[in-house]
Amino acid sequence: MYWLSGGFVFRKVISPFHRLDPRAKLLVSMEFFVLSLLSSTVVEVILILVAILLVATVAKSLRRIARTIAFSGLFAVFIFAINFLFGLGLLNALLYSVRFLAIISSTSVFFVTTSPDELEQIMKWMRVPRDVVFAFVTAVRFIPVVMLDAFQIMDAQKSRGLEFEKGNVLKRVRNLVPILIPLVVNSVIRSGELAEAMESRAYGSTPKPTSLYGMRLRWYDVAVAVPSLLLVSAVALVVVFHVTLYI
Amino acid sequence: MSNTASIRRGPGNTLASIDHLSFRYPDSPNPAVRDVSLEVREGEVVLLAGPSGCGKSTLLRCINGLIPHMYPGEYKGGVTVGGLKVAETPMSTLAQNVGLLFQNPENQIFMFSVERDIAFGLQNLSVPREEMRSRVDETMRLLGITALADRAPHELSDGQKQRAALAGVIAMRPKLIILDEPTSLLDPKTALEVVALIEKLNRELGITFIVVEHRLELLIPIAHRLVVMDNGSKVMDGAPQEVLADGRAEGYGVGIPPVAKLYSALSKDGIRLPKVPETPEEMAEELNGL
Ligand SMILES: Nc1ncnc2c1ncn2[C@@H]1O[C@H](COP(=O)(O)OP(=O)(O)O)[C@@H](O)[C@H]1O
Ligand SMILES: [Mg+2]
Repeated sequence: MYWLSGGFVFRKVISPFHRLDPRAKLLVSMEFFVLSLLSSTVVEVILILVAILLVATVAKSLRRIARTIAFSGLFAVFIFAINFLFGLGLLNALLYSVRFLAIISSTSVFFVTTSPDELEQIMKWMRVPRDVVFAFVTAVRFIPVVMLDAFQIMDAQKSRGLEFEKGNVLKRVRNLVPILIPLVVNSVIRSGELAEAMESRAYGSTPKPTSLYGMRLRWYDVAVAVPSLLLVSAVALVVVFHVTLYI
Repeated sequence: MSNTASIRRGPGNTLASIDHLSFRYPDSPNPAVRDVSLEVREGEVVLLAGPSGCGKSTLLRCINGLIPHMYPGEYKGGVTVGGLKVAETPMSTLAQNVGLLFQNPENQIFMFSVERDIAFGLQNLSVPREEMRSRVDETMRLLGITALADRAPHELSDGQKQRAALAGVIAMRPKLIILDEPTSLLDPKTALEVVALIEKLNRELGITFIVVEHRLELLIPIAHRLVVMDNGSKVMDGAPQEVLADGRAEGYGVGIPPVAKLYSALSKDGIRLPKVPETPEEMAEELNGL
């Protein structure tokens, strides 16, 4: 499970794609997303998927995205089976399932290459309220801390003789209680300390906080954004005006 | 290390003054702090000790303003820091005068990189970007963590986390820094590094410190003063060696360093050493001199 979830977690890598302005990365990701939605044949979706994998290669994150695809492959099979059983035909069922893969990997490209810091900048740029941004930032910041906490509690309870992997489903769910309770208690204590530390560092004292660094569009952001946007717009127009692409 | 305290810049004017302060949390029958009066002078390192639950953390919250600004309760008396009445000064102003660091640095690092986190307080004060940059860089240099600028919190060791959290406080340039059990989660070697850092900041920048610490022997060498609390009240206050030499300290569960214990046992038996030793080596020297 942890291995698979890695497909959506940012990893520090130095690559030409990572260097892009986060807004440019978001744009590219959204373009792939839109293209996947607009595609109407299996060949088109596969071409889009290949393009996404090319971007992933440039971003030195091919393995990560492949993980995502492997993970969502299960769902894709499911989607295929459902559509096929409901009589949509082999080609359509295939189209829907591969399109699902393309959509998932297009979003994965963004999350794998965009640091939490950049996510925060984008949210600020979109004028998301500051408290919401801060709540998001702390949530992401404390994911590894709480996970480590959970593992430690599990070990502690195991050493006291608790067996998680035994029993029927109901028993197993009940087994989670001795882990969840200390975990929640720890998190409540933690959030109290966080609130104190925030206050002590003047959080909320100004309506317009400044920032250590901001986003700046450079020539290579524009070089990526403008042509790709033109291309996707052209495709969208063609599709909206029902001109069939003979690929 | 024994002479550093006397060589160091002598404490100056009153920086913080606590005047007959009492505080009771709303959901508890007894006050957590009872009628405490305390003067802290500029440049002092004050060590605050006492059994767990005696009100040390509560007193610290009163000094930095979390009480009464964040915690409601019954508040009597007053606290003044740098001429500001704590109860009447907004947290944003207090934050630039008093920095507070707790036991667990993990819960005081909010951002994904060390330098972003150091900038957190400055952001909240609307410090312009260029100035923020230079203050962040200066603070990292001061604490020797420039190389960690881009590290995420989970990529730091415990000692590095403690430094990063301290940096976030120092960047706001407070005159007074309050540390609540700063070394209790650290191994002995890292704890000593933190103590050395406190000493350096006190000596070079003249920052005043109030430190709560159970392992007295760590901080005694750099402390100008030792204050002991018990059951919400201040029960002892004086030069560390004098307080420790006073037999009552032990009764308050204050962890007396073995040398000090030996000293008071010897003096009971009529063996008077020229001064209270701070280290076993010093004691050996004094005993040789007899
Ligand atoms: N947030 C709180 N709400 C209510 N009571 C508290 C709170 N924090 C501490 N106390 C109580 O106040 C007393 C002093 O606690 P504290 O100041 O944390 O002592 P110390 O730091 O010396 O261990 C204790 O009896 C404790 O239970
Ligand atoms: Mg405490």
